[in-house]
Amino acid sequence: MAQAEQLTAVIVDDHPAVRDGVTHWLATGTPPIRVVAAGDDVRVAWVGDGATADVVILDLHLGRTIPAMGELRRLTQAGRRVVVYSMRADDAIALQCLELGALSYLTKVEGSQHLIEATVTAAAGRAYTPPSLAGALAGDRSSNRPALSARETEVLVEWFQSESKDFVAQRLGISPSTVNTHLEHIRVKYAMRGRQAPTKAALVARAIQDGLVQLDDL
Amino acid sequence: MTGPGLPDDNVHATMRVALWCVTALLLVGLSLRPLLTQHYRQHWLAVTAFVALAGVTAVSSGWVLRRRPMPPALTAVGTATALAAGYCATSAVGAGAHFGAADWSFGLVEWYLLLLLLDRVALLLAALATHLALSVALFLAAGQPDRVDIGAVGIVVLGGATVQLAVVVIARALARGTRRTTAAIAARDRMRTRLLLAEGWERGQRNDFAGQLGLTLPLLAELADGLADPRDPDTRRRCALAATQLRRLFAENDESPDPLVHEITACVDIAERRGVVVSLAVSGSTVAVPAAVRHELTGPVVAALSAARDRARVSVLRTVAEVRVAVVTDAEGARTAPPGAADVEVEYGSYGRDRRMEARWRRPSS
Repeated sequence: MAQAEQLTAVIVDDHPAVRDGVTHWLATGTPPIRVVAAGDDVRVAWVGDGATADVVILDLHLGRTIPAMGELRRLTQAGRRVVVYSMRADDAIALQCLELGALSYLTKVEGSQHLIEATVTAAAGRAYTPPSLAGALAGDRSSNRPALSARETEVLVEWFQSESKDFVAQRLGISPSTVNTHLEHIRVKYAMRGRQAPTKAALVARAIQDGLVQLDDL
Repeated sequence: MTGPGLPDDNVHATMRVALWCVTALLLVGLSLRPLLTQHYRQHWLAVTAFVALAGVTAVSSGWVLRRRPMPPALTAVGTATALAAGYCATSAVGAGAHFGAADWSFGLVEWYLLLLLLDRVALLLAALATHLALSVALFLAAGQPDRVDIGAVGIVVLGGATVQLAVVVIARALARGTRRTTAAIAARDRMRTRLLLAEGWERGQRNDFAGQLGLTLPLLAELADGLADPRDPDTRRRCALAATQLRRLFAENDESPDPLVHEITACVDIAERRGVVVSLAVSGSTVAVPAAVRHELTGPVVAALSAARDRARVSVLRTVAEVRVAVVTDAEGARTAPPGAADVEVEYGSYGRDRRMEARWRRPSS
């Protein structure tokens, strides 16, 4: 019974060491996450055990120079919850991944704790914003970026700068859970713009359900 | 042809003064006596010529002795007067007295022409030739000369012409020499100015560099004198700061597409060598940051990183409106005083075991 409730993930990465390392991190994390399939081709996320995994952990580059944006789009269109796990900290690509419906964008320099948290959050259909992604959102200069409140911007910047939610909470005089609420709110704002994706719709629906956003806000 | 103050003018002015003295001397000293004592066919004509020449001397003195170039109109009138006076004086001379003592005007007029036309060589030669032709014509018209007379006249004419031409040549040679000298002096002055500029620049560079070296020089001096103890944690912190400053100084002069991040990376590099675990994050696309602002943005980073013990988070964020550089560390010890910043807002704060520094530059809205 406990086995049935355990979260599952599939890893798509071209480096065996990364696949094994991530499998280990997830298996030993809290809560433990079972990696049901892993491979260097996105096929493992579509067939076999990988097809039903809760979360897809996707390396964008897969040994190629062009990021696998098409693969990401097909996965999110199919409603798969994707955590992009990339070698490169590239703001434009990170924002593009969010636009396509990825629930998180992590760089490989960010540690195991962020990956575990991102995977657990994604499994619940929620977005996770690691510090590097917060920086990308704060530095977003595109014309169609959503309007953020001053407090939301400050939370993004402080989180990017300190990598510690406790630190941000202390600095801004709010509780760590309020920091999370702000981050989620920002992600909902981002999910509501641009192209539609089932994962983004689910994210917004979830936010309404949680009382994070009011229907009037939409 | 040549403007005032040019070297040619100086040479000509000086030579004109000399020539003026020569004409005055010849007029009074050598010509007055024959005019008074010799026999002339028309004495009044000779006297008129003398008075006319004296008039030229008197009028030209107003310009010559004040070393001013004579106006062209005056030169023209003077030349015409001199030629006419020469013609009149010579025609007043009796037959057989040509080019002799009574013909005082022949040589004198040549000096006048020199005085008036010294800087117009072509005109001078033409005027001299005219004068010579008129004198010879009058000489021939006065009667059939024999070979001895012709020989004597030839010697007088040749002797006179040689002296005048020599004066012209000397004037030109002097002018050329002066021109060269002036050019050489000007070149030397330019060189001296360049040298002074270069020295000033070098001094400026030296001062700048010494200024940028910051704490390095006094620290090295203290270490050398044994005043600073390398075992002292405070000394080690100062060494870390000096090393970071130096590294930043080198990075400042590198060519890089993103100089701000390049400099901060250099500072991070030094901290990592010290064993500090640094996480560096850069967000937002590159923006142009003026060098002075960059210096103010990275200065607090240098100080904050050199105070870090084990870990540091360095972030660079470029948003629509501003550039924000932040360092969060587990620093200990006294905080380095924030350097005065004109364009950049620097904020410090301590939160539990962490210390935060943020430097913000609001980009001018364009």
